[in-house]
Amino acid sequence: MMSQTNAFFVIRQLLSELRKITPTQKLKHSIIVPHILNQCRKYKVTDAQLCKKRGEMIFLVNTYRCYLESTRRYKELLEKYHSKGERSIEQTADMVGFKLPHDPK
Amino acid sequence: MNRSIVHYQSVLSTLKIYNYPLFFQSTRKYPATPKRFYRKVDVISNGNNSYEITLDKKKVKTPGGNVLKLYNETLAFAIATEWDAQKDIIQRSSMHLTALCNTVIDNPNKTDKHSLITNLLNFLDTDTVLYYSDEDNELYKLQLKEWMPILDWFNEKFQTNINPVRGISFSCCSEDVKQIFEHYLNSYSFPCLHGLTLAVENLKSIILSVCCLNQKISIEKAVLLSRLEEEYQTENWGRIEWSHDLNLVDLQSRVSAALTFIHLNSEFNVVKTM
Repeated sequence: MMSQTNAFFVIRQLLSELRKITPTQKLKHSIIVPHILNQCRKYKVTDAQLCKKRGEMIFLVNTYRCYLESTRRYKELLEKYHSKGERSIEQTADMVGFKLPHDPK
Repeated sequence: MNRSIVHYQSVLSTLKIYNYPLFFQSTRKYPATPKRFYRKVDVISNGNNSYEITLDKKKVKTPGGNVLKLYNETLAFAIATEWDAQKDIIQRSSMHLTALCNTVIDNPNKTDKHSLITNLLNFLDTDTVLYYSDEDNELYKLQLKEWMPILDWFNEKFQTNINPVRGISFSCCSEDVKQIFEHYLNSYSFPCLHGLTLAVENLKSIILSVCCLNQKISIEKAVLLSRLEEEYQTENWGRIEWSHDLNLVDLQSRVSAALTFIHLNSEFNVVKTM
C-alpha cells in the first residue's frame, strides 16, 4: 500500500514537470503522457519489472523526473545570469540581497 | 608618446588591418542557434521494435547523417519530448538523451565494448569516494559518515576489499578486483556502457554510478555525494547561485539522462498470461 501511494506521488511529480516543458503548457498536448500512463498501468500490479527488483518502475520515473526538472532549472538559471551585460545598481543590490539608501526598509 | 600612437595608427591604416573587425573587437562570435523550424513532433514505428522521431514528417538524423533509430518505445517518446520542449530556439547542448543516442549510433570515437570497459576500469583507482581529506577534520568526519556506507555496499556486492586512503597517497585496486568488475561490466550492452561512461565521467566515480544503477541511491543523492566537499565548503563560505547551483543542476541532468538511458536500454518486456 505504501509503495502505491509513493508511485502515485512520483508520477504526479513527473506529470507536473512534463506540463512545464510542453510548449502549450497543457498536458493533453504532451506526446509522452499517454505512453507513460499506459506503461504505469501495465506495471500497476507489480512495479517490479521482470520480477527483478521492487520499485524499479518508481526509480525510473523518478530518474526521468529528475532529468526534466534539472534541465528546466539549468535553463532558467542560464537565462537569469548568462551574458546579460552590465547590470544596474538596483539589480546588483537585489542580487546580493541589499537595499539602496532611498529604498523603503 | 602621442606621436608614436599616431605613427602606429597610420601604419595600420596603410596595411589595411585597421578596418579588420577582429583586430579591435574582442567579442566572441558564436554560430547562431537554430530556430525551432518544426511544429509537430511524432514517433513512428516501423515494425520489428524500431522507432524513429519525425519533425513535421521529416526524420531526425544524427550529426553523422544516420537516421536516429531507437529500439525502445519509451526512449523514443522521451527523445520526442525533448525535441518538443525546445520553445523558440533549438538548444542542442541541453538535449542529453538525444546526444547520448547520437553518440551510440555515430560512434565518433570509434570505440568498441572492450575499450569502453578498459576506460571505465581505469576510474576504479581514482574514484572520488576513495580519497578522504587529511586537512579538515570536520570534512573527514562527514566523508566517513556519507561515503563509507556506499563503499561497504560495493565491497559486499562484488566481494572485493577496496580500501579508501587519506591525503594524496594512491589507492590502487588489485587485478582480482578489476577482473571481477570487468566481468560485471561485460554483462551490459554497448549502448548501456556508453551511458555508464557519461555517468562516471560526470560523477567522477564509478562506485557511485554503480550504486545508482542498482537503485541503491537516487540521482540527487549520488550527485550530492560526488560534490560532497563543495557542498561542505559552500556551507562555510556561502553559496553562489550562478556557479554552485548551476553546476549542481547541470550535473544532475547529465547523470539522470545517462541513468534513464541505461534503464530503458536494458529493459525488455515479456508478458506472461495465466
